[in-house]
Amino acid sequence: MPKINVDGKDLIANDGESILNVCERNGIYIPRYCYHPSLSVAGNCRMCLVEIEKMPKLQTACSTIASEGMVVKTDSEKVRKARKDVLEFLLINHPLDCSICDQVGECFLQDYYFTYGLRKSRFKLENKNQKQKRREVGKYLVLDNERCILCTRCVRFSNEVTKTDELFVNSRGDRAFIDISPEKGVTNKYSLNIADICPVGAFTSKDFRFKQRVYMLQTTKSICTLCATGCKINIWHNNNTIYRITPEPNIYTNTWMCDDGRMNYKIVNSSERLTHSMINGTEYNKRQTVKQVFNKLSKAMDDKLRIAVVLSNYLSIEDNISLIYLAKNVLKTPYIFSIESNQQKIEDGILINSDKSPNSNGIKLLVKKYGIKDISEYAEYDIVIGFYEDIKNLRISLVKTILFSYKKSSYPCLIALKTYFETDGSFINWQGYLRKTAKVVNSPENTFDLHHFLMEVSHLFAVYPDFNFKGIIKDLKYKEEGQ
Amino acid sequence: MIRTKKLDEKKLNFWESIYIVEIVKGLVVTMRHFFINLFFPSRIITVSYPEENLPLIGNAKLKSLHRIKLRKDGSPKCVACMMCATICPSKCIYIEADETENYVEKYPKVFNIDMSKCVMCGLCVEACPEDAISMDTGEIVGGSYDRFRNYKNGGLFLTKNELFRHLPHETISKSGAANRLANKYLEDKND
Ligand code: SF4
Ligand code: SF4
Ligand code: SF4
Ligand code: SF4
Ligand code: FES
Repeated sequence: MPKINVDGKDLIANDGESILNVCERNGIYIPRYCYHPSLSVAGNCRMCLVEIEKMPKLQTACSTIASEGMVVKTDSEKVRKARKDVLEFLLINHPLDCSICDQVGECFLQDYYFTYGLRKSRFKLENKNQKQKRREVGKYLVLDNERCILCTRCVRFSNEVTKTDELFVNSRGDRAFIDISPEKGVTNKYSLNIADICPVGAFTSKDFRFKQRVYMLQTTKSICTLCATGCKINIWHNNNTIYRITPEPNIYTNTWMCDDGRMNYKIVNSSERLTHSMINGTEYNKRQTVKQVFNKLSKAMDDKLRIAVVLSNYLSIEDNISLIYLAKNVLKTPYIFSIESNQQKIEDGILINSDKSPNSNGIKLLVKKYGIKDISEYAEYDIVIGFYEDIKNLRISLVKTILFSYKKSSYPCLIALKTYFETDGSFINWQGYLRKTAKVVNSPENTFDLHHFLMEVSHLFAVYPDFNFKGIIKDLKYKEEGQ
Repeated sequence: MIRTKKLDEKKLNFWESIYIVEIVKGLVVTMRHFFINLFFPSRIITVSYPEENLPLIGNAKLKSLHRIKLRKDGSPKCVACMMCATICPSKCIYIEADETENYVEKYPKVFNIDMSKCVMCGLCVEACPEDAISMDTGEIVGGSYDRFRNYKNGGLFLTKNELFRHLPHETISKSGAANRLANKYLEDKND
């Protein structure tokens, strides 16, 4: 454990730790372009230069390992001048593109220019190197080579994270540019992470392009519900619209996220969205829907029909608890089932899980707690209540269902649900961590929170629930972050 | 801390303190203007704004109704960078950007200014990196009973249709950050 001194402060480094990392841990910020905490160190941008006593030249903090007795200065006159010069150098051939560049607001060239540079360009606009502008790369990316500062973060991402090697630096010197291997193309499932890690506006997202300026958006932390991995995410939104989703890097689950997860927000305003409950081809508003379902169920109970309730791995713990409550205390039916999920495994070694349902682990805990059977024991029932995504695979006759759904479909009795961008819910991911989604936008007027809907139906049956979700969830055996 | 300053009020003398004399004096002034205006209307020095306007002098022209300058081919110089909308203190500029096929890549699909909120500060003009938005039309926005009616129909709402225009006899501005791309685009168009 070498002891070093940075700007007069004595710090203790871990063995083999770089100066930049030691400083970062202790709250001293060193500017950087090519360094990224989750990629290998390249040391090519020279932005992180620091002064080390007894060394004749400035050293790059990202690639210099801290060793016993080093005295480092991160803010001396020499360092400040070096940063200024590096910035000027990086900006020599940089186009005047900020007005049409999507990186504004999160651009490290802009930020560092205002913090460390502030020098008028001595280079004439006409003399700048011109390279290829707008180039579509893969399904989700746009590349502008003029803006690239050749930090190679993107190249290292494709080498080290996705291991697909599609990107490389073509040519040399001031003609060098990022190119795409023609036979491969960018087809990996994590391509939008490149737009995130590119410190400038060279790689930008095709989907988010020109929609909004990032500084006009708010972010809300939430989780992705597209597979059992349950990545932590940031949702960027304003004025009741979601514009993009980016990962919220954390040590527990994810640094990156997949492209499908990022596009998941489109369900909110998609043309397939079910905005009204549909019963036998008629649209109903909220109040009428509750009434209709109540009539249907009370008639079924009077006729002594067999009603089955199927829990869903796609729905939150709260919603499933309400389903169990409805079955046990209102419908008084013994037929409560769960559906077995796929085996849980990170199928590509990065993030995507072979189990596509976000809450299988939550359901497993509920199944254990309430002693619920698996749907494999399924026999013929007169009415099946469940979530559309589950039931559509079970080949149950159409007429006999009451289904909850976000999407339109041909089933005769569909209750319109809010998505988990429009309501909060608790999920337990494949590692066993309990995480919550957050409401970021308002839902269409006539869609339901499932647990509210079920409680309203119970009220019509004159059954008044006397439990709270917090208490039940607390009893489940989930892991908490930080343990 | 709030700074205070004491003002010594002038003491009224006897005639002033009984008011009657002062009231009569005031009435005389009012009546003089009334009769002058009644019999010699050409000597009225005020105008009935907003129906009438005085001609603007000097640089006052540069704080008048907004417009967006156009390029030679009639396309807007604006590239929807949002700088004006960002700096605008009354948040009255609304822009939706979209992608174009040409070199400039970006253009404003929607550009609205709600003049009922605008405080005519001119910050938008200062902020524009493209020399696109300007307040040099010499027109003064009048009062209106309808904020959201179009400016052309007597309202206070400016859209692309009213904003995008050349002025008569103007020399077309060629400055702007995206100008290299814009010129390339114009050259291509001439070929
Ligand atoms: S990369 Fe940064 S500095 Fe370059 S044009 Fe984009 S916003 Fe401006
Ligand atoms: S495209 Fe972006 S991430 Fe890749 S080398 Fe250039 S600046 Fe770095
Ligand atoms: S003049 Fe001022 S208030 Fe009016 S649009 Fe421009 S920035 Fe906004
Ligand atoms: S600042 Fe200029 S270029 Fe940018 S959006 Fe406003 S008018 Fe258009
Ligand atoms: S961050 Fe150290 S050289 Fe780039």
